Amino acid sequence: MGRLEGKRALIVGAAGTGNMGQVIARRFATEGAKVAVAGRHMDVLQALAGEIGGVAVECDFTQRDSIFAMVEESMARLGGIDVSVNATGWGLLKPFLETSDEDMDRMYALQLRGPFQWMQALIPVMEKQGGGSIIQISSATATIMFHDHSAYMATKAGTDHMIRTVANEFGPAGIRANSVSPGVTETPMTAEAGAVPGLLDAFKKGYPLGRYGTSEDIAAGCVFLASDECFMTGENLQVNGGLRLRGNPTKTDIEASVATAMSAEG
Amino acid sequence: MGRLNGKTAVILGASDERSMGYATARRFIEEGANVIIAARRKDAVEALAGKLGAEGVACDITSEAELEALAAHAVKTFGTLDIAVNYAGIEVSAPILDVTAEDLRRSSDVHFVGATLFIKQMARVMAAGGSIMTASSLTILVQAPGQAAYAGAKGGADVVVRIAANELGEKGIRVNSIAPGFTRSAMTEAYFEMEAVRRAFLKEMPLGRFPTVEDVAEVALWLGSDEAFVTGQRIDVTAGQALRRVPLASEYV
Repeated sequence: MGRLEGKRALIVGAAGTGNMGQVIARRFATEGAKVAVAGRHMDVLQALAGEIGGVAVECDFTQRDSIFAMVEESMARLGGIDVSVNATGWGLLKPFLETSDEDMDRMYALQLRGPFQWMQALIPVMEKQGGGSIIQISSATATIMFHDHSAYMATKAGTDHMIRTVANEFGPAGIRANSVSPGVTETPMTAEAGAVPGLLDAFKKGYPLGRYGTSEDIAAGCVFLASDECFMTGENLQVNGGLRLRGNPTKTDIEASVATAMSAEG
Repeated sequence: MGRLNGKTAVILGASDERSMGYATARRFIEEGANVIIAARRKDAVEALAGKLGAEGVACDITSEAELEALAAHAVKTFGTLDIAVNYAGIEVSAPILDVTAEDLRRSSDVHFVGATLFIKQMARVMAAGGSIMTASSLTILVQAPGQAAYAGAKGGADVVVRIAANELGEKGIRVNSIAPGFTRSAMTEAYFEMEAVRRAFLKEMPLGRFPTVEDVAEVALWLGSDEAFVTGQRIDVTAGQALRRVPLASEYV
């Protein structure tokens, strides 16, 4: 008997092969949930939906109409939505002074306005059903520092606070809202950085448990938050092996680590 | 397949059937763990252990020797210790203008010194990694009147949790705390008897019901399992009350 048996779950941000949203969707399906996977690339989504017996729904998370249409279609095809996870994100790395208005607008649309509208669309559905669980994928960097990441970090922090307001205001309707903060996680979003020799090594000392997180770790946190076992709301779960206790390396640390690795490769 | 199959757990502070310790022990046993429950009173803990089909050991958290013996008992009986949960607590309440050194020391002995030595002694026998938890409280997250001694000591323990997590991570030991809200248990029974108190607290809970000892047990189960890549954290089970406030005594007296 799966821990999410009978649940209907909408996972947004599952259109990248092997990304966090996909891993969460697979785990939810394993636990017995009926899953809708959403994102921008229907071919990828359909392949995943086929594998896990779910449904694929197209969504551009920067567009209000697209978000509302996604929720409506998921409702219709799943027969309701008990859980929704937002795993969309744009890991922009750009110096503060070089971040353009276009960067800010795009970041705002995806990482702050998108989550707001996603919850505006979901809450009436969940209220009518008598409750639900909303799970936002946040980031350790919503509280700890990382250089050249300000637009991303500011919107993640804003969305965490938005989650608290939703928990406070819609708790009486049986809706729980929480976020999960990964640290460095091996995903397609971080693959490019991971390919630079020495780069990831600089991060390792920030992890008391001695390894980076995986998308499976995040999925396990999401299963707990999604299940009826969980009586938490308005919380931010730090699923990152204790990274928050130590913090990320500085830019200087990283450059030194990369330089050492490069010279060793010679 | 239970979620704690093959794991051995020690649960301290299981002195009563209404306790978080008892609920956690029951849940852990359902999920396949070997469980040793412990509490100060030998007769009470043995009676409860009999009901659960668990081991029962007398242990006073203010005695480091007894904590050491408890950890050793787990290893001797089951060969290993994987999970340790501390719910040992006492009620100490006094306004700041009246609180005594004796109040502060009594609370510290249990909630700060005791909790810290619990983490130390349990970690020392966790040869293959593990998960240690200690009970925090809503009163650290939002201010509650009269809780200087109680919340002050518990807050100190939460800092120790983070320090221990940072130091013990390399041994594969995770250390976290669980912060229950206003939960019905033997310790809070008298408050729950008062309708005005219940009403004043309930309106500060977004989820509209009181946390239960079973809710707390579920968090302990999750943190105890291999499913939580989480360390140095405080997990809130307050029904969302941490987002709001603790009512003042004038609201229910």
